[in-house]
Amino acid sequence: MDGIHDLGGMEGFGPIPIEGGDADFADIEAWEQRMWALNSQMQVDGVTIDWFRHGIERMVPADYLSFAYFNKWCANYLMLLLDNGVISMEDVRRGTTGDRSAPAPAPTLGDVLATVRKSNRSFAVDQEQPPAFMPGEPVRTLAHIRSDHTRLPRYARGVEGTILTHHGSHLLPDEGAKGRHAGTHLYSVCFKATDLWGSDANPRDTVTLDLWEPYLVPA
Amino acid sequence: MPSFDSEKAAELHRELHTHLPSDPALRVKTLESLAVERGLVSPDGLDAWIEAYSEHVGPKRGAQVVARSWTDPEFRQRLLADASQAIKEFGFEGSATGHLKAVENTETEHNLIVCTLCSCYPFSILGLSPAWYKSVEYRARAVREPRKVLAEFGVDLPDSVGVRVWDSTAELRYLVIPQRPAGTEDWNEDRLAAIVSRNSMIGTDRDLRAEAG
Repeated sequence: MDGIHDLGGMEGFGPIPIEGGDADFADIEAWEQRMWALNSQMQVDGVTIDWFRHGIERMVPADYLSFAYFNKWCANYLMLLLDNGVISMEDVRRGTTGDRSAPAPAPTLGDVLATVRKSNRSFAVDQEQPPAFMPGEPVRTLAHIRSDHTRLPRYARGVEGTILTHHGSHLLPDEGAKGRHAGTHLYSVCFKATDLWGSDANPRDTVTLDLWEPYLVPA
Repeated sequence: MPSFDSEKAAELHRELHTHLPSDPALRVKTLESLAVERGLVSPDGLDAWIEAYSEHVGPKRGAQVVARSWTDPEFRQRLLADASQAIKEFGFEGSATGHLKAVENTETEHNLIVCTLCSCYPFSILGLSPAWYKSVEYRARAVREPRKVLAEFGVDLPDSVGVRVWDSTAELRYLVIPQRPAGTEDWNEDRLAAIVSRNSMIGTDRDLRAEAG
């Protein structure tokens, strides 16, 4: 979708907020650390990474721009729990459900570090179809997208680039956001900065995106 | 189970916007209370996750990987060929590094990593991303005017150096291998790792300095 999240190339923003925004995890606000931990420990039934991302894309646009990153995650987790029927809007208003399930078992530090290590999930899927493109081939990205979840940013639509690498078949986010499990070939596609941004760009520079086969047509 | 209904998600967000307090700390407290009551998380478990990312999982891991790539040419080849596999030699595999790609800076090329659509980042080797990486400013500008962005970080690139921007639009994650500074030829791996900044592994730092170690 052409949402507020699709920020690449948007103009009018000021300097990068390096000052005050360069802290390591140990030094950020306690509520931000808490939100990261909630995200790490909480499993919401059936939620795919793409439904999670699409949920954030559907936030109130003004909130998306003004909320700190982990504040967006907080809103999104509440949305996901509401959508699954785990909590109600009344629970959110009161700040309590009024009752308690059996408490979740607390992992130890050792458990957590083991979980981190096991979380190197692969998104590759088997694919019988041969890839449509080979490294070195010119391709063009789609000019238009559908109004649901996709990972082809606005700034890279309808542009010619070159296949840099073929990564085999990976889960397609457009399907994952609908709870479906389907893969297509994935490529790193290299674009000349001048093809994306015109003559203001430096002709030596490039931007490379990882794009699925359905986003591409032969150039 | 989720509805996977985009319009329902948007409607719930609008309702939340109306009902939630504006203070993010209070909002997160509300989420934590509800998640604890529903048996989804435990406060002690959350503390363990915070300790893990404060003390153990962080950019020092990436710095060790980079230092080894400087001292061990065979490791460097393995890292460039398949970084997800190579970091297993350290036990650093994990969250968001199932498809990791290492890209090397040279005299004529500089690499810069961004995620314009959200804020994807290789957590298990770099820890949590800095706030600027997740900012709208960085996400908007890094692909369009990388040289101006780099200048704000104190990196002034001559025209003889090309910029390779990598926008993490899929599940691949990126690690920049900065150049080894001169004057470190007899340094061991630990001493080298100490001068590898987090930002140099994202690409917003370039010339590492031998004296920092």
